[in-house]
Amino acid sequence: MKSIWKNYKTDIAYDELMHSEFQSRPVSHRLCQYLDSLKKEDIDKRKIAAELAIMEMGISFTVYSDEGNIDRAWPFDIIPRIIDAAEWKIIEKGLKQRLTALNCFISDVYGDQAFLKDGKMPSEIITSSKNFRKECIGMEPKHNVWANICGTDLVRDKDGIMYVLEDNLRVPSGVSYMLENRIITKRVFPELLQDIDILPIDDYPTHLHDMLTSIAPHQNGLITCAVLTPGIYNSAYFEHAYLAQQIGAQLVEGNDLVVNDDDCVYMKTIEGLEKVDVIYRRIDDDFLDPEVFRKDSTLGVPGLMRAWKAGNVALANAPGAGVADDKVVYAYVPEMIRYYLNEEPILPNVPTYLCSNKDDLDYVLAHLAELVVKPANESGGYGMLVGPHATTKEVESFRQIIKKDPRNYIAQPTLSISTAPTLCKGKLEPRHIDLRPFILQGENTFVTAGGLTRVALKKGSLVVNSSQGGGSKDTWIINMEDS
Amino acid sequence: MLSRSAERLYWLARYLERTENIARLVNVHMNLLMDLPKGVEMGWRQLISINASEQEFYKKNNVASERNVTRFLLADQSYPGSLFSSLTAARENIRTSRELLPDEAWEQVNEMYLFAKNNLETVANRRQRVIFLNEILKGCQRFTGLLSGYMSHNHPYSFIRLGRNIERADMTSRILDLASLLLSESRSDEVRQYETILWMNILKALNALLMYRQQKHNRVNGDDVLNFLLQDTNLPRSVICCISEISTCISKLPNSDQLPGKVNELEAYVKAIDSENTTQVQLRGILDDLQNKLGNLHHQIADNWFLISSPE
Repeated sequence: MKSIWKNYKTDIAYDELMHSEFQSRPVSHRLCQYLDSLKKEDIDKRKIAAELAIMEMGISFTVYSDEGNIDRAWPFDIIPRIIDAAEWKIIEKGLKQRLTALNCFISDVYGDQAFLKDGKMPSEIITSSKNFRKECIGMEPKHNVWANICGTDLVRDKDGIMYVLEDNLRVPSGVSYMLENRIITKRVFPELLQDIDILPIDDYPTHLHDMLTSIAPHQNGLITCAVLTPGIYNSAYFEHAYLAQQIGAQLVEGNDLVVNDDDCVYMKTIEGLEKVDVIYRRIDDDFLDPEVFRKDSTLGVPGLMRAWKAGNVALANAPGAGVADDKVVYAYVPEMIRYYLNEEPILPNVPTYLCSNKDDLDYVLAHLAELVVKPANESGGYGMLVGPHATTKEVESFRQIIKKDPRNYIAQPTLSISTAPTLCKGKLEPRHIDLRPFILQGENTFVTAGGLTRVALKKGSLVVNSSQGGGSKDTWIINMEDS
Repeated sequence: MLSRSAERLYWLARYLERTENIARLVNVHMNLLMDLPKGVEMGWRQLISINASEQEFYKKNNVASERNVTRFLLADQSYPGSLFSSLTAARENIRTSRELLPDEAWEQVNEMYLFAKNNLETVANRRQRVIFLNEILKGCQRFTGLLSGYMSHNHPYSFIRLGRNIERADMTSRILDLASLLLSESRSDEVRQYETILWMNILKALNALLMYRQQKHNRVNGDDVLNFLLQDTNLPRSVICCISEISTCISKLPNSDQLPGKVNELEAYVKAIDSENTTQVQLRGILDDLQNKLGNLHHQIADNWFLISSPE
């Protein structure tokens, strides 16, 4: 192999594409052959072409900083991450199983609470959850689905097994980047994509649209969908606009909408008020409706909860769905699958210590330096401790934080999450990656072929979040049988 | 269609039209000055005055030199009327209304913006400036062509056309302001000597020279140019043509209320201008009046269709 692979290390973790510096895995044979056929300058040229395309397509995300909000180009690595379709089939099944169980659980929590009554989970976990919305008790959204759009984070440990790291059930983002990554790859490596049998992903918007219309309060005539965004200063604004365009929905902000005395939602148009049937909301519960949740919210729509409870508008995801997006609740998902579906979980959880549990807490405090500690309710990789990478001082200050609020923390063993070759200064180097597939559930359930692979671009880093120096890769699910 | 989106598309079109107009104006003026002998009272200052931005210009600059004026009009990010500010505003408006336009529309404007941003410094140099302006002109034309080829003639399209034509009518009237300066009684014999060249450049600033020749069949003269640019019903950048476009757009939009009547009044006003028998002073008055009327029309459009911002 050529110089771009020189000293490529495969002993850091499981590498997705390489057995060793000199030997590729079966899924990546073709890719490696192809890369070897290119000159080093060619690879650099493709990288520059990709960066240019990203600038021109305006694929960006917003970073909040003291100097104001900056629109940053989306960091993209041109070397794809590849998964065998045979393995993917199992993962896909596992993801569907998981979201189905999660939706049964949410329905149950806002209904009979059988799971709690049967002693499968202490009820304090729910009563103390800030994402449990008592306003939702007794609601029955269409198809009994609360979390219509889910982004589940998967990581592969050194044993080669894919684990579920978390389920994002509130307003998961990233799917637009998954779609754009493929478009860029098509521009950058057109020859390669022709040769390899890669599952397409660009049907996602169609499925999203179908899902949204399937949850509309009525099924007669034209269904009006809107994407509700907090506005241009939100880090995912690009995605909101992109998805609205792709599914032919209106992109609205809170003050474009109004709830009238008839408890219906209308948008303000040039023709007057027009009724809205389905809202794909990209605003957290807290800001959704100042009449019910945070009074100071200017992003939401006063009366939206009224309209939803009256059954006049569908909200995706349903308010209150976030109750299952909690790292403590996460620990109980395997049990949910057994309880509601009478099946064994297909995808394993990462072993999780709940600090609310006395024995677990003692263990966690004794092993802080080896563990990853996460707050139960944050997203974006904020407020967590990676024991092996932290200073003694950081560990000690975290100890105090946990002791003060044990319910809000969980700990997991530090996984050796898998790596994939990533272009760094003209050379390929292993970088840690995860995978976020997106699952849609309405009348039917759909899983994206692959998902968004996020990569920690900094050497040794395990944090893949774009807000903290992460990038992304195109994800290929390839059929091996035909090749 | 959302009121908010209507407003954004309307402004998108206005800002892009302004971008294109500034580019053409600077380009033509540069060519004009190359033709004129040194010492003629035509200079770069006139470009500042037709945009009514003398005050702002002289806050930042001492002399209306080519370098200062072109930098001010093209690259000054703190002057809202500059080409780059207009383009930035256009980009911001399209960024927030992508869901209504073909994909390529956003990419086209974004590309143009990135090009301008990366080449702002080059406008100081005359040769580089020509390249810069040509790129911008091409970009604007690509955008217009792209919409006309790909976009349904729906309400969003009507708002784009509406914004474009209001801005266009306004710019044509401002370029005629420049002409009125040429008609000034106190103009020197030297300027009189170059009058034909000056009028030709007025036409060029609106890309109308060829069309003028085909229509008028005689040499370029002031009265005819004035008449042509105000009242020719076939020239896309004549004031009357813009107003008739505005009228068509308004008739296609819902709840147009009082607007068709207002536009009819404006149309009658322009038709009644007697371009052959106006003095310079009268012409200036007419053009000021016209600009005010266009401003009023804009406010009526905003009141009628745009989102009324609630006091925060």
